[in-house]
Amino acid sequence: MKEITAIIRRDKLPETKRVLEELGYPSLTIQSVEGRGKQKGAMCAEMDSEMPDSFCTAVKLKPTPSAYAIEHTLPKIALYVPKRLLTIVVPDDVVSKLVKSIIKVNQTGKAGDGKIFVSPIEGALRVRTGEHDGEAIT
Amino acid sequence: MKMIRAFIRPEKEQEVVLALEGAGFPSLTKMPVFGRGKQKGLQVGPVHYDELPKTLIMTVVDDPDVSKVVGLIQDKAKTGFIGDGKVFISPVDAAYTVRTGEAKL
Repeated sequence: MKEITAIIRRDKLPETKRVLEELGYPSLTIQSVEGRGKQKGAMCAEMDSEMPDSFCTAVKLKPTPSAYAIEHTLPKIALYVPKRLLTIVVPDDVVSKLVKSIIKVNQTGKAGDGKIFVSPIEGALRVRTGEHDGEAIT
Repeated sequence: MKMIRAFIRPEKEQEVVLALEGAGFPSLTKMPVFGRGKQKGLQVGPVHYDELPKTLIMTVVDDPDVSKVVGLIQDKAKTGFIGDGKVFISPVDAAYTVRTGEAKL
């Protein structure tokens, strides 16, 4: 079993859900998270199309120097972009298929498309029936 | 690659994040979480707080950087009092960048 953790744009969530459903893996957990990548959350206008302009202007005006910031040449506060985090637990053999589909749906070519992580899961249990491992995630 | 999940005090978040940025690890995801530890929450006089707010910082780094990042988090998040939080490290098989479709961080 593998866990696929995908951090994606908020506006791509419905489409991603639809694609996963078509592939036969509708079960997922969704979390609202904030995060940033290499761009340090600064390019919000390009990164998230639904971000209001006023917010972006405020962000662009932000860098107020503090002692720490001058020392490390950093902005005073860290900035984040809102994202959706999906967690899907699937059998090993479908991981690459699902990852490819998620990438295909979420790709816009601009910074802020997100990341996908694949990590091992050692066990699973369906609480209702007590089924273990493979049976629990089908 | 390893995923580092750090449960820290919400008020220490900015300090930790800026320190990580200064060390060359700007990428992370954060979320507010609630939980309790060994002390089963917090007792203030007659009031018992069972679940305390924490910030969960999640970041994926290459294996050689793990100890450096964990050290930085510990350094910045530490107050020496109960409730400073925990850091968990778990394996990550693969990481993909959606924009390029490449299998690397």
